[in-house]
Amino acid sequence: MTDAAIANPLRDPKETFRRYTIFGVCAVFLLVIGKDIIIDETDWARMGTLAEMVKTALFFVPEWSFFPQTVGPLLETLLIALWGTILAVTVSVPIAYLAARNITPFPVLTYPLGRGLIILSRSTHEIIFALIYVSALGLGPLPGILALATRSLGFLAKTTAEAIENADPGPIEAIEATGANRLMVFCFGVIPQIFPIFVGNVIFQMDINIRRASILGLVGGGGIGLMFAEVMQNLYYGRAGMIVVGITAMVVVGEFISNRVRQRLI
Amino acid sequence: MALLEISQLKKTYGTGEYALKGVDVSVEAQEVVALLGLSGSGKSTLLRCVNRLVEPDSGQVVLDGVDIPSLGKSALRDARRTMGMIFQEFNLIDRLTVLENVLAGTLGVTGTLRGIFRAFHGDDIQRAIELCERVGIIYHIRKRADQLSGGQRQRVGIARALMQRPKILLVDEPTSSLDPKIGREVMDLLQEITKEAHIPMLVSVHDIFLAKNYSDRIVGLQAGEKIFDQPTSSVEADSFDQIYHEAS
Amino acid sequence: MKENVSLAFDSYRSDEMRGGLWKFVGLLIFIAFAFWSIDVLKIPIERVLGMFGRLGTMISERLLPPEMAFAAEDRVVDSIIETIEMSILGAVIGTIITMPLAWFAAWNVTPSRAILYPLARAIIVVTRGMPTLMWAMVLVAIFGFGPFAGMLALVKATIGFAGKLMAEQVEAIDMRRVEAIRATGANELDVLFYGVIPQVWANWVGIIIYNWDAQLRNSTILGFVGAGGMGLYLREQISIIEYQTAMAIIVVIIVMVVLSETASHFLRHRLY
Repeated sequence: MTDAAIANPLRDPKETFRRYTIFGVCAVFLLVIGKDIIIDETDWARMGTLAEMVKTALFFVPEWSFFPQTVGPLLETLLIALWGTILAVTVSVPIAYLAARNITPFPVLTYPLGRGLIILSRSTHEIIFALIYVSALGLGPLPGILALATRSLGFLAKTTAEAIENADPGPIEAIEATGANRLMVFCFGVIPQIFPIFVGNVIFQMDINIRRASILGLVGGGGIGLMFAEVMQNLYYGRAGMIVVGITAMVVVGEFISNRVRQRLI
Repeated sequence: MALLEISQLKKTYGTGEYALKGVDVSVEAQEVVALLGLSGSGKSTLLRCVNRLVEPDSGQVVLDGVDIPSLGKSALRDARRTMGMIFQEFNLIDRLTVLENVLAGTLGVTGTLRGIFRAFHGDDIQRAIELCERVGIIYHIRKRADQLSGGQRQRVGIARALMQRPKILLVDEPTSSLDPKIGREVMDLLQEITKEAHIPMLVSVHDIFLAKNYSDRIVGLQAGEKIFDQPTSSVEADSFDQIYHEAS
Repeated sequence: MKENVSLAFDSYRSDEMRGGLWKFVGLLIFIAFAFWSIDVLKIPIERVLGMFGRLGTMISERLLPPEMAFAAEDRVVDSIIETIEMSILGAVIGTIITMPLAWFAAWNVTPSRAILYPLARAIIVVTRGMPTLMWAMVLVAIFGFGPFAGMLALVKATIGFAGKLMAEQVEAIDMRRVEAIRATGANELDVLFYGVIPQVWANWVGIIIYNWDAQLRNSTILGFVGAGGMGLYLREQISIIEYQTAMAIIVVIIVMVVLSETASHFLRHRLY
């Protein structure tokens, strides 16, 4: 053994080598991807010069006078988010019941069914759901509400199912011992235990849904998305900027309110 | 015939362990029988096999002429209504009030719709309040269950079990989570009430003092087997010693 | 003792009634709100009943079975690869930007509570509040179609998503260890690297993985507005009313998301 090994016991040469190689491989990997994305796939010619890009960007400075016209659609977006969440809450409880290993009624059938629905709901973007609902029901806020509900129920059902699985079995046993039926056992033994978590999650989803609802209009699901698509198409970039500011403000305010509400509940 | 007749009760857990190796216990109509044994001797399992919170592998459990293990789901619920259970960890619904917890004892008979909205019958509410008075917690009935002390919680558990107007009380180590002094108060309460209402009790304990002072008969359990079964007054010291020394 | 019981009973009953009254009023308000919403949103409530039937037939006749062969076409496969690459690049660049930002946005260790903290917090909050798809449309207007705009959109999404989580982790650290380092006379940067980072690093790695998973989900749909990736073909097929090929894209998206979530879940749990 050389002096080097004794001199710095904290630095294992093999480990350092390993780290640098991993780092190097990642860096090369990223450069390859970067080259692909940034250089090859991007149409630099069409993009124009930097000056042109900046000029276009500046067009997006919000046209404040447009604000009054955004109020209606923004409120519509809010309503869509609200009802989508309410619907999701309603549907997620029975799904959580199916997807909770400790209380699912027919484990071989209902557990995979519940879990499958949850996975489907969480993996599919709300735009996709909106597309499906719009083509079945026509344009308007209704397919938007349904799309949001279908998208949110996954998270709510999953977290609720997990809460149910982690629930203290003692109270559940106690209610069973009184001869109550399954529904009563669930209502008295399970629900009171998971209630705080459930409410927190509902508030959380409500926030996210405001943001989701704003883009549903792009595919005909109601709300401000439609107006945004229109102004973008007609190159009214100042108005588009105003819409972005409006929706961002609404989401931020909504988050602030919901944080306060959640603190009060705990 | 005894009110509760348990014969050859066997239960094995998935791991291959024998929890109960063919136990016979009987409880007469106004008797208090104590199941005495160390942790793991099978006392909890035995109690839970009676109302089938744990399913026995084989054996008979006959309560008032009805064989419990053979009952279907709905008949089992009817049978459970006649058995009040009291738990070591109290098992109250923390977020609900004391009164609602006691009323939960009626969930076997309160209609589903009423249950969901917690709109209990006036008579039941009246009786629940009376029971709360009897067990000494009437000043706490509006409090949330998790705001109570251990002794108070167990009293709620007792009231809840009594709400069912049970034919028998199944009591699982009622004082193991309580201070000794509070524990004795709770045992005194149980003893008084069961004598007043003429309800038999099957209680599991691991404390000799409790077994000696609160029961009419003691059944000793060790590693899933019954090792003695005698009236309390005639149990000898070496029977107790047997329980408290590991089987060799 | 009887008085105790009847007193208690009466007071319980009257409370119950009052509570019931409030609940009833609440229910009425809710129903009124529902009717008002139906009116304002112009929801065709009469059509809702036939809705599920129509949905069912539409899905079974026009959407299924998905024409999976479409997903195997060269241009589609290329777009899938582009989606993945875009998500990695966007997540990595976004993470590099987010890390110092999270440091600034943590009240306990931010180097400047007066300026950098509110600024960093504002940036995180605003980037989170802005819908990513809208932002992608804006970027496409500025930078043209293609994955470059999409990548930038994912950078923004990362800042908003990972920024909040990372800042929360920093705020949750044990300050005593940081003070210990400070007490040795180290400068702010050393305090950061020896006091803060070791404590948050494990959680941050988890967040980085979680973030990449989230950005992959985003990247699958960005193409819908022209920002690169497979979403383009989704839009294309729908616009030519080829629903079964569109479904093929949707199926691939779902499979990709499920795989990435499983992988991210697995990695995050193995790290602890």
